[in-house]
Amino acid sequence: MKNKTLKLIPAALPLLLLSTTSWGQAAADGAGGNPYFYDGLLSYGLLFLAAAVFIAALVALYNLLNIMVKVQQIRIYQEQGIEAFKEEVQKPQQSLFHRLYKRMTHVVPVEKEEDILFDHEYDGIRELDNVLPPWWVAMFYLSIAFAVVYYTYYHFTDAGPSSTEEYKMEMERAEKAVQAYLATQSSQVDETNAELLTDAQSLAAGKTIYEGKGTCFTCHGMQGEGGIGPNMTDPYWIHGGDIKDLFKTIKYGVPEKGMISWKDQLKPLEMEQVASYILSLQGTNPPNPKEPQGELYQQQVDNAAPADTSATGAAKKQEADAIGMQ
Amino acid sequence: MAQVEKFSYDNAIVRKFAYASILFGAVGILVGLIAALQLVFPSLNLGIAEVTFGRIRPLHTNAAIFAFVGNGIFMGVYYSLQRLLKTRMFSKGLSEFHFWGWQAIILAAAITLPLGITSAKEYAELEWPIDIAIALVWVAFGINMFGTILKRREQHLYVAIWFYIATWVTVTVLHIGNNLELPVSLWKSYPVFAGVQDALIQWWYGHNAVAFFLTTPYLGLMYYFLPKAANRPVYSYKLSIIHFWALIFIYIWAGPHHLLYTSLPDWAQSLGTVFSIMLIAPSWGGMLNGLLTLRGAWDRVRQDPVLKFMVVAVTAYGMATFEGPMLSIKSVNAISHYTDWTIGHVHIGTLGWNGFLTFGILYWMLPRLFNTKLYSQKLANVHFWIGTLGILFYAIPLYWAGWTQSLMWKQFTPDGFLQYGNFLETVTQIIPMYALRALGGTLYVAGYFVMSYNLVKTVQAGSFIGDEAAEAPAASTWAAHTGKEHWHRWIERRPVQMLIAATIAILIGGMVEVFPMIMIDDQVPKIESVTPYTPLELEGRDIYIREGCLGCHSQMVRPFRSETERYGEYSKSGEYIYDRPFLWGSKRTGPDLHRVGGKYPHSWHYNHMEEPQTTSPGSIMPPYPWLLRDELSTKNTAAKIRALQKLGTPYPDRYDEIAVDDLQKQASIIAENLRKDGIDGDKLEEKEIIAVIAYLQRLGTDIKPAPQAGN
Repeated sequence: MKNKTLKLIPAALPLLLLSTTSWGQAAADGAGGNPYFYDGLLSYGLLFLAAAVFIAALVALYNLLNIMVKVQQIRIYQEQGIEAFKEEVQKPQQSLFHRLYKRMTHVVPVEKEEDILFDHEYDGIRELDNVLPPWWVAMFYLSIAFAVVYYTYYHFTDAGPSSTEEYKMEMERAEKAVQAYLATQSSQVDETNAELLTDAQSLAAGKTIYEGKGTCFTCHGMQGEGGIGPNMTDPYWIHGGDIKDLFKTIKYGVPEKGMISWKDQLKPLEMEQVASYILSLQGTNPPNPKEPQGELYQQQVDNAAPADTSATGAAKKQEADAIGMQ
Repeated sequence: MAQVEKFSYDNAIVRKFAYASILFGAVGILVGLIAALQLVFPSLNLGIAEVTFGRIRPLHTNAAIFAFVGNGIFMGVYYSLQRLLKTRMFSKGLSEFHFWGWQAIILAAAITLPLGITSAKEYAELEWPIDIAIALVWVAFGINMFGTILKRREQHLYVAIWFYIATWVTVTVLHIGNNLELPVSLWKSYPVFAGVQDALIQWWYGHNAVAFFLTTPYLGLMYYFLPKAANRPVYSYKLSIIHFWALIFIYIWAGPHHLLYTSLPDWAQSLGTVFSIMLIAPSWGGMLNGLLTLRGAWDRVRQDPVLKFMVVAVTAYGMATFEGPMLSIKSVNAISHYTDWTIGHVHIGTLGWNGFLTFGILYWMLPRLFNTKLYSQKLANVHFWIGTLGILFYAIPLYWAGWTQSLMWKQFTPDGFLQYGNFLETVTQIIPMYALRALGGTLYVAGYFVMSYNLVKTVQAGSFIGDEAAEAPAASTWAAHTGKEHWHRWIERRPVQMLIAATIAILIGGMVEVFPMIMIDDQVPKIESVTPYTPLELEGRDIYIREGCLGCHSQMVRPFRSETERYGEYSKSGEYIYDRPFLWGSKRTGPDLHRVGGKYPHSWHYNHMEEPQTTSPGSIMPPYPWLLRDELSTKNTAAKIRALQKLGTPYPDRYDEIAVDDLQKQASIIAENLRKDGIDGDKLEEKEIIAVIAYLQRLGTDIKPAPQAGN
């Protein structure tokens, strides 16, 4: 009885490990603060709970066995007298660790290794005939079982998703999570619906951001005259001069030119305010202006969809046309 | 009484390999340290092309693997083989040819790699003439080893020799398989397989270079030197048998775990995963047999530096071979791959397992070759502690850096945008970790020099025994085996059968994975819009290879939201069918480049190559001013086109005759475009940078939708 319980422990441990690995996989899928990170936690929580109950049951069983052993001892004492009892109880008891170690390794003690020493030797090197450590064998079998189950799940059945199916699922989950988040955000301003604000309060707020936490002035000048970055007061724009264009430039930045993205530091309304403030600087002619850059932009009421302005798109086509082989 | 024969062991060849290993070990780790420092201080290349990171990284890996560990293997094999077989080496001439041939190959590598002569395949960078030389020397080694085995006085082969045999045959197969290439010129070739097939074969090779060059021969050395140094019997003969056969059979299958979530078909990726998991037990079999052999000798481990080094080596082996399978689980790999985690992982293996085992062997063996005692136990202990600290300072910061960067790559804002949309932010974040890693490397190097001093002193104090006298019963006294014995004893008496069995064991996995990929067309779905590279793009690609760009930039967008949002559409296997060699890379110190085409204007690339800091402040990419200065050589362009045509790239008939004209046309258009942006220079259209821009602008555009405004 007792032997069987102890055999269960090594069998149960890898199971536990397996459950943590699969949890690790779930965590990895969602790593990086994705909202669906916690999807799998409930089921894995249940698994952990089941494992805990299982271990508790084992401990209870172990205690029960101990009590039975005690009862047996008392019986020996009653039937055979105190001497027989002492002899029985005083058998040298090894620690649990030692017994476990022996059971898991089946190792022959160093003192007795003469018994399992092979006759042969190679340049003085002898070999022992210790058996394969049972825990090692168990681990090997378990890894083979894992391989069979894994491969069956993903390839011999339709149960497991392929890499590209996983990708589609990930994108759908993300899309849902983003939509759910956006639904909780009121009056969402983005580059498709940003409007030019002209009221004094908004422009004042924009000016505060421009000169304050937006630190726009460090590159574009205190009065928008330009510096490291382009002049904001002339009608020439590199990335478009419409309020929507400005909003987009501020939101995503132009990292390759040193303009960073502000979407994580400014709220949408703040970006709208600062963009509106910048457009209010048009024609102010501050001292020390930077030379105009980009294209002349006529402010329009109804802005047409932007055309393909990518320089490389056109250039590539030109190159492709010029070469016979394509 | 049995007839006893007198003979002697050849120690001179052992000493030669030992000296070479010590010398090239120093070179290898010093180059590694320079590379590590360049990641912190990019200007450390001093503006010299030949010592820029992309070129010295392969120099470092080749020096560490083939020069330091390689000579270490031969040192240990030549020492142990003679003693385990009770005979002298088969041929003095072959031994000498082996030694000098191998050193000549190392010299050739040390010259060609900094010159940018490379086939771009990791751990197989050397070009075809050197590949042929390697094959010749390796065969000479094989003949010498088998000749020695055949004239042995010991009837049975000890486990160490099983490992040597498996090593020899597998490296032969791998080396030939991965270096099937068509020469264009003396120092340029294109591989026979392209794209995803080339990738599979490369990692079948690359993974098993780790398995059969860094692992199995060293397990053989462990089986000889550890029981000798500890003076203890090997723990379990049965474990040796099972873990040996399981290890060599399973190892060969695991290569695709380097290609998880790439465009390699899923079935092959999964084979890589499951066989890696099944490798844990066979690998640990070796560790257990090593550590448990020390039972009853642990008190001496505390005093004897030799045993200390060996214990840490075997423990590092156990850690790395557990970590490896964990990294092969796809969801772990999704985090670890392309980050410094991988670099940390491999250095546990090389610094810990290969390095420390070599040191242990040197400390044990050299005094014996010189009939003396180690000059200073104290210095050996100092080396042990600095070296161990060095490994910790090396690996832990890189694990940290890998995790940090990967999580930053994958971090989204709640409204669905990348939190760190600028790749550079994730690089500058981990530069302090790179600095700590360089400190770890410095410690390890310092320990190495302590050892070198100690060994030089030892050698000076002793007197060399070139021919060590020995005696053993003659082979004619071998008993016939009729009685009951362990079944495996049968094959231990038959080296040829052992060789055949090992060959079969290592061929199966490779064949099952590689053949379907090569033979079955629909493994790589064709994409209509994918066309061959133009001559200018091809030359640009070869410059990309020469400069080792793939050391820091991948060309493989994995199917993850975090990657498609950052780079664009995930990569398809059909896009790579004209890529010879494939350039997927295995590390992203910089961003992925597979969809970089059309992302920036030509002038951006021009300025970026001249001084990366101008377009990307804080970048640790070194400047490439020589690309702006040097003229593009079109000497081999026609030959390249012809070679690619032979391999199946569908250029029109006789296209080689007009290839250079086409190249010049495309170059002048790019140059004109640059001039519009205010970039000018004498003979701008003839510079190498034009070809590089052409290639970069082409990348990933075959299936890319037309660029949208603002992208």
